[in-house]
This record gives sequence, structure tokens and C-alpha cells, in this order.
Amino acid sequence: MLCSRCHKREAKIYYTEISNGEKKEQFLCEECAGEYTSFQNQSEAGEMTIGGLLSSIISNYYADSISKEEEELLKLQCPTCKMTYEQLMNEGKFGCADCYHVFKQVMDKGIRQIQGADVHTGKRPAGYVKQEEEEIKLTEIDKLTIELQAAVQREEYEKAAKLRDQIKELRKQEELEKKAESAREV
Amino acid sequence: MEKWFEEKGNFSDVVISSRVRLARNLREYPFSTRMSAEGAASLVNEVMGQLSGLTDSDGVFYFCNLSKLSKAERIAMMERHVLSPQIVNKKQETGLIVSKNESLSIMVNEEDHLRIQGMAGGMHIEKAFQLANEIDDIASSKMEFAFDEKYGYLTTCPTNVGTGLRASYMVFLPALSAAGKLKLLSEELNKYGITLRGMYGEGSEGTVNIYQISNQKTLGNKEQEIIDNLNNIVLQVIRQERKRREYVLMNNYDIIEDQIYRSYGVLKYARQINTKDAMTLLSQIKFGFDTGILKSQNKEDNIFRLMMEIQPYNLLQREGKMLGNIQRDKIRAEYIRTMLPIL
Repeated sequence: MLCSRCHKREAKIYYTEISNGEKKEQFLCEECAGEYTSFQNQSEAGEMTIGGLLSSIISNYYADSISKEEEELLKLQCPTCKMTYEQLMNEGKFGCADCYHVFKQVMDKGIRQIQGADVHTGKRPAGYVKQEEEEIKLTEIDKLTIELQAAVQREEYEKAAKLRDQIKELRKQEELEKKAESAREV
Repeated sequence: MEKWFEEKGNFSDVVISSRVRLARNLREYPFSTRMSAEGAASLVNEVMGQLSGLTDSDGVFYFCNLSKLSKAERIAMMERHVLSPQIVNKKQETGLIVSKNESLSIMVNEEDHLRIQGMAGGMHIEKAFQLANEIDDIASSKMEFAFDEKYGYLTTCPTNVGTGLRASYMVFLPALSAAGKLKLLSEELNKYGITLRGMYGEGSEGTVNIYQISNQKTLGNKEQEIIDNLNNIVLQVIRQERKRREYVLMNNYDIIEDQIYRSYGVLKYARQINTKDAMTLLSQIKFGFDTGILKSQNKEDNIFRLMMEIQPYNLLQREGKMLGNIQRDKIRAEYIRTMLPIL
């Protein structure tokens, strides 16, 4: 089959794009796929073909719910290396070790899709001690959000709905507190 | 103790070499994607300093700042698979630590801060892993690596996170390739999380039929499990390639024998030969030696080594001077004449 874009070269890649809730299917050759998508030719991409697909995996995941969630994500930035969410999606690579935590919310899904797993079971550096600090830094809302993601993944929608309401409630309270604070300052 | 796949005898008719690569990053530096020029210099300096004095039975490792080497020297190392194309073309400061026989190397400031690479001839991936793993132990006792409870070793690209381990075999698949089976095989391997990739591509470098088979996924399985899985798959590939060779030799022995002897003849008597032609012909006589159609008097019939040695920059390096194309082709032909196994 010939590429549905250039109609010249043999189509090698089947590309499905979901944007604004519309599904678009295309058969592309490697060259067009390179231009049109984040898919890179192997020789150009060196070792990383999957890395380039990262953004398409994740943006597809959020495509039908761009709304507030993505707005929140767009604000994310790693305090250590200054990598933003947008840059991460474009490059498909992290800027520093802390990025893994900053973008955890989005990356969990992406890493699972790329790797088919999400927990390391192999070797550890000699003398490595488990750090508990990260857990403490999480706010109540963060924790509930993680639980919510897990519930959605397990398709436990009733539980998810409850968690969503809880998060909403907490957010409302936070807003009220903020307003009260700023009122006081004025 | 010999491992099970080593006991089963020699796979050198299909497997050329085994390689294991570990990706590691230092906790205190940003990844290469966000690294400044000063940061790169300081990283290279620190890693080289911390690891100075590394040795093996052949003696002290060679430490070098790659920016101090000429481009020709760097490309020659890439042709021998010591350096990656990425590090050769990098503008920032980069480093290399390498053992005398080049079986162990560490690239500093590649895509990850450290790329520790163990290599072994034939189907000896355990040996390659052991080499890399020992160096990893030493390095982690001197520097703090970026490691996460959940994700394991943190890497620049999420395709390497976890073990940071990429195990790969270089394999010679002329029969499967000639039968047009590779696309199908590649798709099949993909289902098991294994990638098949051309090592020397078709086209500009001739038809060489050398491929690389490696694991795709680095997270979730232990190092040994990744290696075992790859071994199982590679044994299947070896079986298929051998079956196919048997089949083509049974049906077309005379034609193939003639072709191989003709190729040998050209390599033995040519006075000028370019890389592309030489690689194609060497691939054909390699098939001849591997299947026993050709037998050498001297035991030394390592055609793969010859393939690396006739690459343009390795040839230049041996001559010690820059050469024009025609002169290079003359020297290549001469070198092949002297190195070709005697029948």
C-alpha cells in the first residue's frame, strides 16, 4: 500500500490520531511519519524509536480530556533543571533525576506503556537506602489523585467518583483559605 | 562453571559477538539534555578522576578526553563499536575509559553520564555482563548514581530506565536475509520485546547481513531475566538460520559454491576495492567458512575482524596518514590480500 500522504513511497506505519474526540487513521511511509508525527526513522533516532513516541502516547491519552487537567500539566516545571511539561513532551527525554518526580503524574502512564511495567526489580547501588521523604512531601490532594488514577485504571468507577468528589471538596476549601488569606492581607 | 548455552557448543557460525550496556547517571548533575558546557567538563573530570587507576589482567585502562582525539580517530573507534555515533558527533566535552583489548569501555557524557559497555566474542553474554557489572559496582562505590525506589536507575530517556541494561548479540543471518524472512522475524521478535536491527545497513556499506538483536524493555525484569529471555530468543533465531542454510545448500549447492569461490578469487587478486564491494564479498566468504564450503589452512578465519579493519578510518589509522579514495582502495585490496585466510 502506498503512503496516504505522499502517495509515492510504501506505507510502513499505521498511525492513529485522536484529536478533539475525532479518530483519524492513516497509513504512512517512514519519511512522512517522521514529518507528520513524532515517529523517527531508526537511523536518525539512533537507539530511541520509542522515546519519540512518548509524546504521542501521552497526548493521545489526554486528547479527549484536554480541559483543566492539561492546563494544570502545562504549568508543571522541574525546579531543578527548569524542564517544562511541554519541553518534556517535545523531546521525549528527561532533564534531570528530579524530573521523574515532578512529572510523575503524567509519566507513570507513559513509562508503563513504553516498558510494560512500572517497578524496578533488579540491581541496586551498593549501600542504597530507601528514602521515605518523598512520601511526606505529598499533599493530601496528591495522595488522593494517585488513588484516583489507580481506581480509574482498575475500572473501579464508583470509588473513583468518590475520590473525585473528595478532591473537589479539598480544592474548594483550599481556595476559600487562599481568599481568606488574601483578604486579610488587604 | 560453564553456562548452559555455552556448553551446547559453538554458535560462532551465527553469533559474532555479545554486548551488554549499562546506563548510569550521577545524582548531582543534570542529564545530558540539560547539561551546560561547564557542567559537561566538570562531569568528565569527576568521572575520570574517581575511576582513575582501573585495571584488568592486561594492565591499566586507557583514559582519554575525546575532544583531544582527532575526528578520524573517533570515527575509527566507532567502526570498531567502542564509541557510539552519538558521542562521536557531540560538541561538548566527552570522555572514554577503555581496557587494552577494548572489551570493556565507559563512555562519559553520552546520552547518559556513564555508558558502561562489556563486549565478548561469540555467544558469551554472561562474560560481557560480568565485565560491565563489576565496573558498575566499583563506580557506584565512588559516585552517587541517580536511583529511585520505584523506577530503579534513572536515565535521560524513559526507554532505558530501571536496569539501564541493553543486552545485544551481533548475528550473521545471510540465509534468512536472502529468503526475505527478516521483516517477519523482526515483527515476531517485537512481540517478545526484542528488537532486530541492521548493523551494517544495506546500501552504501554493501550487503553484509549482520544484525543486532537486543532487548527493548529495561524495567520490570531483573538483569538476569532480561539476559535469559534474550538468550532463549537468540537460540531460536540461530536454529532458524541454520535450518535455512541447510535448505539453500541442499537445493543450490553448486551455484552457491561457485559464487563463494568467485568472491574469494576477487578478494585474493583485486588491486583496488572500495568498502562496499569488499564488505559484500567478505560477507559471502564468511558464509563459506561458516558452512564449511571454504576451509582455511591456518585456523585464523575471523572474517568479521577483517570487516572492521578495512573500514575507511581504521585503514587510515593503520597507515598513519590521510589518503585519497583511490589510494585507500589500493591499500584496502593489499591489506585483504595479506590477511585473507589461505585455503
